[in-house]
Order: sequence, then C-alpha cells, then structure tokens
Amino acid sequence: MIIDVHAHAGPWFFATDVGAAELNLTLMDRYGIDRQIVSASEAVTYDMVSGNRWMAEVLVAHPRLLGYVVINPNDLAAGAEELEKYLPTGRFVGVKIHTTYPGQTLLSKAIQDTMALAAEAGLPVLVHTWDESVLGLVDVLERHPDLRVIAGHMGGPAWRTAVEAATRTDRLYLEPCCSITDAGRYRYALDRVPLPQMLFGTDSTLVDPAIALGVVMDAGLSEDEYEHVMWRNASRLFGIRTEQPA
Amino acid sequence: MVTLPPLPAERHEIGIDVDVLFGAVPNRQLDASLDAVARQQESHGIRRGLLCSLRGALFDVCSGNDETRKATELQRRFAPVGTVDIRDALGAEDEISRLAESGVKIVRLFPPEQWAEPGSPGLAAIIDTAVGHDLVLLTSGDFSQFWRPFADKGARVCFLDVHAYRVADFVVTARREPGFVASTRMLVGPDSIERIAGEVGAHHLAYGSRAPMHDVMPSALRLRMAGLTKQEWRQVACGTASAWLGEEL
Repeated sequence: MIIDVHAHAGPWFFATDVGAAELNLTLMDRYGIDRQIVSASEAVTYDMVSGNRWMAEVLVAHPRLLGYVVINPNDLAAGAEELEKYLPTGRFVGVKIHTTYPGQTLLSKAIQDTMALAAEAGLPVLVHTWDESVLGLVDVLERHPDLRVIAGHMGGPAWRTAVEAATRTDRLYLEPCCSITDAGRYRYALDRVPLPQMLFGTDSTLVDPAIALGVVMDAGLSEDEYEHVMWRNASRLFGIRTEQPA
Repeated sequence: MVTLPPLPAERHEIGIDVDVLFGAVPNRQLDASLDAVARQQESHGIRRGLLCSLRGALFDVCSGNDETRKATELQRRFAPVGTVDIRDALGAEDEISRLAESGVKIVRLFPPEQWAEPGSPGLAAIIDTAVGHDLVLLTSGDFSQFWRPFADKGARVCFLDVHAYRVADFVVTARREPGFVASTRMLVGPDSIERIAGEVGAHHLAYGSRAPMHDVMPSALRLRMAGLTKQEWRQVACGTASAWLGEEL
C-alpha cells in the first residue's frame, strides 16, 4: 500500500507532456501507488479558482485521486469560498499553499493566515518549503494548536533544518520529493524525526515517481518504517480509509 | 517494501556512470572513500564509473589528479577523470598537458563549486586548451548559463546538471552542437530523458548518478524504467561514455 501525499495534475510550462490526469494513473500503476493526493498545476501557478474547478472534475472521474484545495494566500476571502465550495464534495482532504507563484515568503502574514484558515476547516496543509525559513513553522504551529503542516520537499536544500523543525513539534510532517537527491537525506530524517511524522510524496506528474521511490529505497527502511511512511501515517493524517486499518 | 514492475534483463546492469566522485566532503558527514564508492556502485548494479577526485576539485589539483590515477589502478571498475581549478587558469594549462600526456581522456570542471561564472575568461581558456588536446569535458553548473562558453568550439562535453526544467534549452542547443551531452541525473520528469532522445538522439545522453554525494537509486531507477528502445537504452547506459573512452560498445 502506498499513499502519495504530494502530487499534481495538469500541464506545466516546461517541455513536458504531462497534462492529462490519466498520466497520474499510469505512473501510479507503474510504481504501485494506490492513492495520490493531487493539486491542480493551474491552481498552483496561475488561477486558483479555475484550477480547483478543473481538479474537482478530475476527482469525480478518478476515484484513486484525492485533492488539495489550492489557496492563493493573496486572496484569503476567495480561498475561504473555495473551501466552502469543495469540502462538501468529500474528495478534497487538504490545503495546498505554494510560496513562489503567489510571491509570498513562507512566514509571511498572508501564508500564516491561510494556514489558520485551513486549521479552522480541520484540514492538513501541504506547503512548499525550500529554505531555512522552514524552522519558523515551529512557531506558527505553536500559535495554531489545530494546525498540521507538511513541509513539502522536506525544506529542499535546507533539509537538515526541516529535520530540526520536525523534532520540535509533533504537528510538522516531512515528505521527501525533490529533484536534488542529496545522499542519505531521508535516512537522516528517519533517524531523528518521530516516525508518525514521516510521509511519502513524489511531485508526480511534474517529477517521475521513480525519483522519490529511489530515495526511499536507498534509505533502507525497516518493515515498520515502510508501513508508516508509505501509507499508515498519511491514512491517519488525512483520514483516508484503507482496507487495513492504519 | 517497494515492489517494482519487472525489468528487462538487459536493464539490470548500467554500463558506465559518468558522474562519480571520491575523497572528503567537508559540508557533509558522508563516507566518500574509494571503497565506499565502489561498494555503492556495485550494489546498484553499475559496472563502471568515470571517477574524479574531490581533492582536486576542492583543494589541490595535482595531488588530486595523482590520487585519481592511483585509485583507478586499485579499482579497475573506474576510469580516471582529471580536473583543473578554474581559479588558476595558468596552472590549468600545464595540468591539462600533463593529464593528456598521461593518457587521461576526460577532464571534469567544477564552475559553481569553484565560484566561476559562465563568462569567466579563465574558464574559456581552459575549455580551449582541453578541446585543443581532444579531451572530453564534464561540467557541473546550470545548463542554461554554462552552455555558452562551450558552444561553437567543437567541444565534446557532458553537462552534469541538466534539470528537467531545462530540457528545451538543451535540445535547441544540442541540435547544432553534436558533442553536447546531458547527464540523466536531474532529468527527473516522466518524459525528460525520452524527449531528449526523441528530439536529438540518445547519443546526446549519458547516465550519471553523482555518487556518493547523491542517492544513486533515484537516477538508476529512472533510467531503468525509461521509455527507450533497446538500442537507445544501451547508448545512454554505456555507449556514449564508451565512445569518449575510445571503446567499442
């Protein structure tokens, strides 16, 4: 059983033909991924409203996919409307916040307010993290007791700092997808961060799942680590029902 | 454990890894010793590697290159890759001659690691000298920045950091640069490797892992699962680097 907590659907502006949601399923089948939590590339990079709308249509057609409601932190009121619109569908299980495209830093007031909105809605947040500011999430989590945050890419090049952050709070989760595959990065985290906070993500279909799976394989997981990282922790965090109880 | 689809038998072994380092890693707690690197390559089904000394890249060129030569005599699975320091283009002239005379066929450059910009006059001079000795070059650095000093020189060069986001830049450049090759390590998109092979041919690709600095399985698994023909796959996994070494595939 594998649950991928960091994935996308839709086209990108690079020289890559990954726009069709069917490709998500093809890659999931190829690598044995059972469920995938996706955000619309359009909502992440350009238009939150039309992107989320397309995502909702895709989720109806593909039951193995679950969705993140993307919220652009520059328009919190519209973000709240997006949550009202899509939570009742039962197909969206989290909130995705990017920093690059909205032009907001991780610890900006706009992003913190967006995280608070997600916490009020009872949803975990997947946020793009790519520098040392990931440590500031500890304070953000302290201010919002109901908030649960996944540090997307495990802080990227600041992965050691992301690990430090995750040892200071039990509501910060790490997932490893990253095209920079520094040796031993995931094992370093597994040896320090409590196991319930470790997750698996791929960044598919922007990135082939082989990359994150290769990272996991090189980390040499025990059976217990594998079970928790690859699906149990995600099942509990997102409330995803599985044949075997998490 | 992770269960992968069955792979064709001929994809179990990758012939040559063009991006292998050894030595000390001051910014990590990492075993980058020769023995550790050899074990890592073997355990990932990689038969041979193009090996370069981190000592030469980060500290002292001459002793680093000597260390590489000795290492490749001890571990026959590796072929030696020399290096120079871009910050000392004057010393590099002599070192490139020394490397060429000793039979080294490949020289690796470390522009970002040695704080060299794409417009560095020293870098340009080093490239000219290496091309003049008919050496193959390997280089790190963002392709969209570092393609320029290698262009229009007839250089045979492998760019070790071509990211999936730079596929289009690589293809439009490789169309007019027959010697330009992309390492597969950061071609992480579901169709990055396949797109380059389809647009300009598999001879513009070579497998690289950046062992021991990076996990090897991500790049190895991606290549093993690549949507390439049997002939294309052999070319990427071995053929391109074999040609640099003057060997038959």
